Amino acid sequence: MMAGQLSNRTFKALSALLTYPTRELTMAIPEIAAVIAGEGLVSQAAAKRLKPLLADLGTADLYDLQERYVDLFDKTRRHSLHLFEHIHGESRVRGQAMVDLVEHYQKSGMLLSSSELPDFIPLFLEFLSTSPIEEARGPLRETAHIFALLEERLAKRNGGYAAVFTAILSIAGEVALADETIEIGDEPDDLATIDAAWEETAVTFGPGNATDGCSVDRLRIQMRAANRDVRHNVT
Amino acid sequence: MSHFLDRLTFFRKTVDEFSDGHGIVTNEDRSWEDAYRKRWQHDKIVRSTHGVNCTGSCSWKIYVKGGIVTWETQQTDYPRTRPDLPNHEPRGCARGASYSWYLYSGARVKYPMIRGRLLKLWRAARATMPPVAAWSSIVSDENKRKSYTAIRGHGGFVRATWDEANELIAAANAYTVKAHGPDRVIGFSPIPAMSMVSYAAGSRYLSLMGGVCMSFYDWYCDLPPASPQTWGEQTDVPESADWYNAGFIIVWGSNVPQTRTPDAHFYTEVRYKGTKSAVVSPDYAEATKFGDIWLNPKQGTDAALALAMGHVILREYHLDRNIPYFEDYTRKYTDMPFLVRLTERDGRFVPDRLLRASELPGALGEKNNPDWKTVAIDEATDALVAPVGSIGYRWGEKAKWNLEEKDGKGSDTRLKLTLAGADTEIAAVDFPYFGGRATEHFVATDHGEGEILTRNIPVRTIDCADGTSTKVATVYDLMMANYGLDRGFGGRNVATSYDDDTPFTPAWAERITGVKREAIITVAREFATNAEKTNGRSMIIIGAGMNHWYHMDMNYRGVINLLVFCGAVGQSGGGWSHYVGQEKLRPQTGWTPLAFALDWGRPPRQMNSTSFFYAHTDQWRYETLTAAEILSPTAPEGEWGQSFIDYNVRSERMGWLPSAPQLKQNPLEIAARAKAAGLETKDYVAQALKSGELELSCHDPDDPANWPRNMFVWRSNLLGSSGKGHEYFLKHLLGTTHGVMGKDLGAEGRVRNQEVVWHDKAPQGKLDLLVTLDFRMSTTCVYSDIVLPTATWYEKNDLNTSDMHPFIHPLSAAVDPAWEARSDWEIYRNLAKAFSDVAPEVLGVEEDVVLTPIQHDTAGELAQALGVKDWKRDEVAPLPGVTMPAVAVVKRDYPNLHARFTALGPLMKSVGNGGKGIAWNTEHEVDALAVLNGVHTAGAAKGLAKIESDIDATEVILMLAPETNGEVAVKAWEALSKATGREHAHLAIPKEDEKIRFRDVQAQPRKIISSPTWSGIESEKVCYNAGYTNVHELIPWRTLTGRQQLYQDHLWMRAFGEGFVTWKPPVDLKTVAAVKGMRPNGHKEIVLNFITPHQKWGIHSTYSDNLLMLTLNRGGPVVWISENDAGKAGIVDNDWVEVFNANGALTARAVVSQRVKDGMMLMYHAQEKIVNTPGSEMTGNRGGIHNSVTRTVLKPTHMIGGYAQQSYGFNYYGTVGSNRDEFIVVRKMANVDWLEGPLVPKEAAE
Repeated sequence: MMAGQLSNRTFKALSALLTYPTRELTMAIPEIAAVIAGEGLVSQAAAKRLKPLLADLGTADLYDLQERYVDLFDKTRRHSLHLFEHIHGESRVRGQAMVDLVEHYQKSGMLLSSSELPDFIPLFLEFLSTSPIEEARGPLRETAHIFALLEERLAKRNGGYAAVFTAILSIAGEVALADETIEIGDEPDDLATIDAAWEETAVTFGPGNATDGCSVDRLRIQMRAANRDVRHNVT
Repeated sequence: MSHFLDRLTFFRKTVDEFSDGHGIVTNEDRSWEDAYRKRWQHDKIVRSTHGVNCTGSCSWKIYVKGGIVTWETQQTDYPRTRPDLPNHEPRGCARGASYSWYLYSGARVKYPMIRGRLLKLWRAARATMPPVAAWSSIVSDENKRKSYTAIRGHGGFVRATWDEANELIAAANAYTVKAHGPDRVIGFSPIPAMSMVSYAAGSRYLSLMGGVCMSFYDWYCDLPPASPQTWGEQTDVPESADWYNAGFIIVWGSNVPQTRTPDAHFYTEVRYKGTKSAVVSPDYAEATKFGDIWLNPKQGTDAALALAMGHVILREYHLDRNIPYFEDYTRKYTDMPFLVRLTERDGRFVPDRLLRASELPGALGEKNNPDWKTVAIDEATDALVAPVGSIGYRWGEKAKWNLEEKDGKGSDTRLKLTLAGADTEIAAVDFPYFGGRATEHFVATDHGEGEILTRNIPVRTIDCADGTSTKVATVYDLMMANYGLDRGFGGRNVATSYDDDTPFTPAWAERITGVKREAIITVAREFATNAEKTNGRSMIIIGAGMNHWYHMDMNYRGVINLLVFCGAVGQSGGGWSHYVGQEKLRPQTGWTPLAFALDWGRPPRQMNSTSFFYAHTDQWRYETLTAAEILSPTAPEGEWGQSFIDYNVRSERMGWLPSAPQLKQNPLEIAARAKAAGLETKDYVAQALKSGELELSCHDPDDPANWPRNMFVWRSNLLGSSGKGHEYFLKHLLGTTHGVMGKDLGAEGRVRNQEVVWHDKAPQGKLDLLVTLDFRMSTTCVYSDIVLPTATWYEKNDLNTSDMHPFIHPLSAAVDPAWEARSDWEIYRNLAKAFSDVAPEVLGVEEDVVLTPIQHDTAGELAQALGVKDWKRDEVAPLPGVTMPAVAVVKRDYPNLHARFTALGPLMKSVGNGGKGIAWNTEHEVDALAVLNGVHTAGAAKGLAKIESDIDATEVILMLAPETNGEVAVKAWEALSKATGREHAHLAIPKEDEKIRFRDVQAQPRKIISSPTWSGIESEKVCYNAGYTNVHELIPWRTLTGRQQLYQDHLWMRAFGEGFVTWKPPVDLKTVAAVKGMRPNGHKEIVLNFITPHQKWGIHSTYSDNLLMLTLNRGGPVVWISENDAGKAGIVDNDWVEVFNANGALTARAVVSQRVKDGMMLMYHAQEKIVNTPGSEMTGNRGGIHNSVTRTVLKPTHMIGGYAQQSYGFNYYGTVGSNRDEFIVVRKMANVDWLEGPLVPKEAAE
């Protein structure tokens, strides 16, 4: 992509950091670091936290980097880089959601040219890099909770990659989480509370949340399911 | 007051009332409805199905929007079948309905992946060396090799490009072919019927190379050897629609609503019609609620139940009362009238071989194959006759292989069933009794004298050709005695009353099975009475619960006898409905040339997997069962005490079972040696084997020269689902972390083996390379060196058929494969290209010496008629194809492998096509394919029809097969007529002009055309039912007598006491004592029988990692135990438990349920260790899968070969991987450890 098509290069840089490590990527690390520092979209604190990953990608053995990437992102749903894996999981609404997203890209004049799915986070970030930053913040806020979730999960496995999500969130601003607070605390252990927590809203016909595949209700249920950890049930 | 001025005259409001105010039109925002409208909008609908091993073959509509699969729904446009039959649709189940989300799931394999350490070695070597040399440099260096093999299963994958992965694999294959031989390249893929082109892709690649295709049906223990033994047919069953024609149905060890979900409606519907049903199941399975009566025998005792039911039926419907239909059926369609020689032993007699024409003076005038013509007595003349239809008439002569009531001279006969008469001679005949051998977990019953039941039967003394005389008896009279029926001949061990405790009365069975005798008698009577009134419309639906026991043949033959006694086999609505993993590949003869590259070279290399894995995962080194424990007290003189691996080796060298690898020497070097010696290759091989210059690999499976080296797994989850003895696979075949806790025979100081070389240190890591193709990251993928991403069932074009319905189905590419995935066809075609590119480095045109076992349905199946002679023991000369494997030379053109892969080879024209003993000319079809697919215009395949795309491949199948090309069907029936002397073409002539193309089945599933490949027909009048053409067209069964063979007379069958069906308790595998109490964790340990039925929330392992299915179950591995057993062990529902024995350990949650019988644990196979599986306290490794606590045990009777129906066929006969005799220790876990840290290298335990 020609540089002229990008309204900012920070998202493109963050997108690159989340792609499979190749020689090309590792060579581009200085450029990525410069862009992030230069454009100043990422908060200083967040940018600082990116340093270990940048250092890793710039210096570590490529096979080790690739093995780590596959281990983190290709083999487990927990850290899937596909947005809808965390929202819709195995639900059949996911297809429609992807179709909607493709349409959204098309409306902005962008056509998919790779074999990736439209909800692949690096792809989504690249799209944001083509939008004016004010416009980019909208979709970013809508998905911020997922980035927060990934940040939290990755922090347990690999702080370096978690920092990419910290960086994304820092661009979205702190409003992101305040808008739609999704609390996924520890699983309760009494049956009545579990039932209450898991009960899906009854379907009501007419305008409202229940029909919206990406509603907060829906999201809350899905994220709880995704986050549910069997280990909590060990007695 | 008037409202005149208030009323509107020229307008009405958009918002108004109607229907007297009951309705109101409003004007509110209705844009929310768009969500629903959009929800069902789509760009296109494509027909596909799920290529999973479920025999469903259900038609689904796949909805595509914007290039993305959005959902699927059941298709409802099956063609009509026949009047009065309910519709087939809707077909499908909850599992299939959740499939679309595999496409985009996190579990999907998206890129070609290679273990990083291997790829690093490869790139380093490749930088300086050509491909084959590069591979050689890696695997020849033990440290390099071990650096990636020893961490199999521990992650470390990186992505690779297709080109790089293909070159690496091709180089490994070429190196292996050159250095060790093509038979060291092995491929495992099951159930071709579910996606036959995808199967054929890999098998064609391997077959062109000379690699080995592995069997699955026997390995899965879904093959019931009783079927080939009785009918000479792998398995042939009624379609599910035929259940609707039944008058009485027994569902026995099968769970129809759970595992045959799309077919279950026929079972429901026929009950509305008034059909009664009995369900036999030890646990309260889902099918149980369909039963009007439920019999719940102790698990593993079904044969005893069947024998008691047989006792009742023979007593009431054959002896005390004559039912003309039953008697007529028995005479014409079974071996019951045939004569058995009796051998004298201590004044008593033991049933020996079936009498042959060759043993009688003048051979009854039979010159062709008199050794293979069985003998009976004609009622009218009282003379000995050799009735037509026996296997001797099948080969070497024409028009006499049929079931007409005639002898070889053409005279009419009516065969005598019994020799009983006024002045008949009576003799005491011995039958074995194994019931006293039961372990403490089953009821041991002591009958007879020293395990022998002596019973009196009518016999006759006849003169033989050699001047001696012998006593003979009919199978019928022996059968009545076998069932313990008193017929007034005096003597002991026969019963007059059902209440006698004599084998095999209902009272006797009650002790063993726990089922009340009254229930047994009731079901037997109702089953037989219905058959009497309807001429055989009594059916038994039978499943894995019966077949997965070591002595499955007794279960099955017990049941088969019930059906045969009632004339139910071959009748609409009747017969034996075994639905376990078979999946009928209906256009079989169109598919085999494509799949095994028979168009370029014959024969292909095929191997029975059970024996292969037993040898090469070194499970034989841990064998706990001895032949003595299963040997009959009536066994003929002989050396029967060898171990099972020894039996298998003898079988291989006598040409009974196949071998892979075949010879210790590279088969590419043998033809040259023969030339140097100035001998025909086959003569050279025979001589050299005898002299020891050549050695069969099977004698030393642990010698590196005999290891399998490269293995492909596709369309399969060998390590996560079907691999019995899972931990032995990990230890010996893969060489990685494993959980085997038992010690081998060497360490235990036990009796070992005689034929096989023992190495004190067993090899760990025989495979150089394991490549798996899959769309999801299965357990097998996790353990592989290379994982290739395949297209899902909505992303490729293929064909799919089932035994459950007569339609041929497409799989269709609704969308392109996501990410880097490719269809199996494309993957192997590209691999063929890569192979052709690298091969010239070391390979050119080569002569490959191929050994094949003696094949069923060929003239070779008449090998050793009268006894068993072993060339290795100097009992007979090694004669290829008769006393040893057949030897053939096949020319391989390695640099042109790709050219051959993509073209229909010349042998289809020059040799023709056929199957199951029938052959026909197929030039016309080959020409038609050239027009349809186009021809190659240059290269090694110039002028030959193209097979470039997966659709081209489907057209090859459809064009060549009689089931999909009416013209071929007519030719095939006419070819069969030559052998039978009867006209059969009328079954296909109405459809002679029908030719089914791939686009036709995409438009609508098409019904197949009747063909002689199968024993049932499709017509306006009948549903598909097995044995139909045998009974109605008088085509013989492909057995020794040509009839349904209820008496098995081969020496090895008699040695192990299986001449007649009998009761054999489950065997003792002795895997518990060594580990019970070994590593206590403070919780109580109890011992249970380990049962692994098919599950509800997955089809084998597929779908079991799908969140929807996980949510419906418990979200991870579970085992079911009874409330009483749980109480004993202090386990409560949902506790984490560990299940273990000497074979390994698994971890799961406990489901405590009243459904389960005390004494057994039920673990649905195949829950994988990739989902929520914590570490084992016993092994310190991650908990295993259900097969972690199993080990394969072979049975000698399954190794018989070269003997009519007991001759080898791929997936047809051979050893089977039973697993239900296994016992385990279970206890609550004290510490649940998820083992989430990085791999800490540790020294191997040994």
